[in-house]
Amino acid sequence: MPDPRTEREHGFERPEPRRRLKNEAIARLGQVDRRILYLAIAVAVVGILFRPLGLRIPVTDEVRRVYDAIEELPARTPILISFDFGAPSMPELYPMTVAVVRHCFRRDLRVLGLGLLPEGASIGAEVLDSVADEMGRVYGVDYVHLGYKPQIEAAILGMGEDIVRVFPRDFRSQPTAEYPVMDGIENYRDIPLMVGFASGTEMVLWIQYAGARYGQRIVSGAAAVMATVFYPYLDSGQIEGLIPGLRGASEYEQLIGMTGRASRGMDAQSVAHLLIIGCIILGNVGYLASRSRRGEG
Amino acid sequence: MAMTTIGIWVAAILTLAIYSFLYRDNPIYKLAEHILVGVSLGYFVGLYWHTTLIPKLWVPLVEGGNVLVLVPLAMGLLMLTRFSLRWSWLSRVPMAFVIGAGAGVSIPTAVDARVYRQIEATMIPLTSLSSVILVVGVAATLVYFLFSVRHEGALGKVATLGTWFLMVGFGATFGYTVMARISLLIGRMQFLLGDWLHLLAD
Repeated sequence: MPDPRTEREHGFERPEPRRRLKNEAIARLGQVDRRILYLAIAVAVVGILFRPLGLRIPVTDEVRRVYDAIEELPARTPILISFDFGAPSMPELYPMTVAVVRHCFRRDLRVLGLGLLPEGASIGAEVLDSVADEMGRVYGVDYVHLGYKPQIEAAILGMGEDIVRVFPRDFRSQPTAEYPVMDGIENYRDIPLMVGFASGTEMVLWIQYAGARYGQRIVSGAAAVMATVFYPYLDSGQIEGLIPGLRGASEYEQLIGMTGRASRGMDAQSVAHLLIIGCIILGNVGYLASRSRRGEG
Repeated sequence: MAMTTIGIWVAAILTLAIYSFLYRDNPIYKLAEHILVGVSLGYFVGLYWHTTLIPKLWVPLVEGGNVLVLVPLAMGLLMLTRFSLRWSWLSRVPMAFVIGAGAGVSIPTAVDARVYRQIEATMIPLTSLSSVILVVGVAATLVYFLFSVRHEGALGKVATLGTWFLMVGFGATFGYTVMARISLLIGRMQFLLGDWLHLLAD
C-alpha cells in the first residue's frame, strides 16, 4: 500500500472517496471507548434526577396482585415479612419494602419481620422502625422484628412448627413470646400471608419449604435480575403476586399513593434504557459497516 | 446525628473510590476493595459468633449443661482437618452428614415445588394465544435438550424453534439484568446527590 505522506511529498494526493470516509466513521461507532458510554449514562441519569420528566409507569397485574392480597386482609391480621437481601440490592428492594410495610401499617396489620440474611435483618429493622415511627406504630404491639437466623432451610421449616421456638428472642434480644403482637401466633397456620423480599434464590426456598410443605400463601418482591426466575412460580400460582425491581417498586408506590425513591428514579431508568437501546443500534450499525468494509478490502 | 453524617461521608467517599475503577484500575479502588473484604469478614465473624456460637453452643453447654451440643461442635471441628494432608479424610464425616441431611430435607420439597407444580402449570387448556405459546415453547425447548437423538428433519425444526424460545428467555433475563444494574446506579446517584450533597429535592 502506498504511503500517503510520500504521495503528498511528491505533490499529488489521492482524493479520498467520500463514501469511504463515511463508512470509516460509521465503522468507528462500534469501537467507542467504554468510558464514554459510562459517562453518557451517568450524565443522563444525573440530568434526569435533577429534572424529572414525570413519565407515568402503568401498574402491572402482578404488582396489583400483591397490593390486593394485602388489601383484603382484615385489620389485626398477622403478616410475615422476610427481608432477605443485602446492601447491594438496596436501591431496588428498599423502596418496595418501605411501600409494603407502610401499606401493612395503614391496614392495621400485625407485622412480623425477620431476615434470613444477616444484612437483611438489619435493613429490615431500619425499615420497620422508621415507617412505624412515621405512622405511630408501637413495637411489640403492632410489629415485632424476630431477627436473623442462620441456616435458611432449617429456619423456614422450623417456623412451620413453632415460630417462637425458632426465634426465642427478637432482634432486640427480648423474649419474643411476651409481646402482645405474638398473641395467637404459633406457626404458618396463624399467618394468612407472607411477603418475601429477596435479592437471590432465597425466595425459592420460601416457596419450596413454607409454600409447598406448609401451604403458606406467598407474595414476593424481587431484584430485577431474579424476576425471570420467579415468573414461572407466579404463573403456577406458587406465589400470588410479584414486585419486580425498581419498576415494580414504583408501581407499588403509585398504588398506595406515595412518591418515593422508586418513582423518582424511574424517569432516569427509562432514559438510561433509551440510551442503551440507542448504543446497541449504533454499535450494530458500526459492526455491519466494518464488516462490509472488510468485505470491500 | 454526628455518627450518621460521618457514615454518609465514609459511604460517599468509598462509593467514589469504587467508581474510579470505571476509568481504570488504581490504588484508591484497590484500597476500597480491600476495606470491603476486611470489613465484611469481620462483620460475618462477629455475626456468627453472636447468632450461632454463643446461643447455640456456649449458652446450652455452659449455662444449660446440655452435652449433646458437643456432637455438632466435634463435627464442626472435624471440618477444620481439611487443612492437614494427613487428617483431611476426617472432614468427610461432617461433609457426609451435611450432604445427606441436606438432600433428605430438600429433595421431596424440591421435586414438588420445582418439578411437579411447574409441570402441572404447563398442562393447561389451549384456550388462549398465551397458553399456546407457553405449551409450544416448553415442548420445543425440551426437544432441543434431547441430545440422544440427531436433530434432523421435523425434530430439527422443532429443536430450532426451541433455541428461539431460549434466545427470547436469555434476552428477557439480560434485559432485567440491565434494568437491575441501572437501578443500582440510580440508587447510588440518589445517595450521592441527595443524602450526601443535598442537591436533590426530597
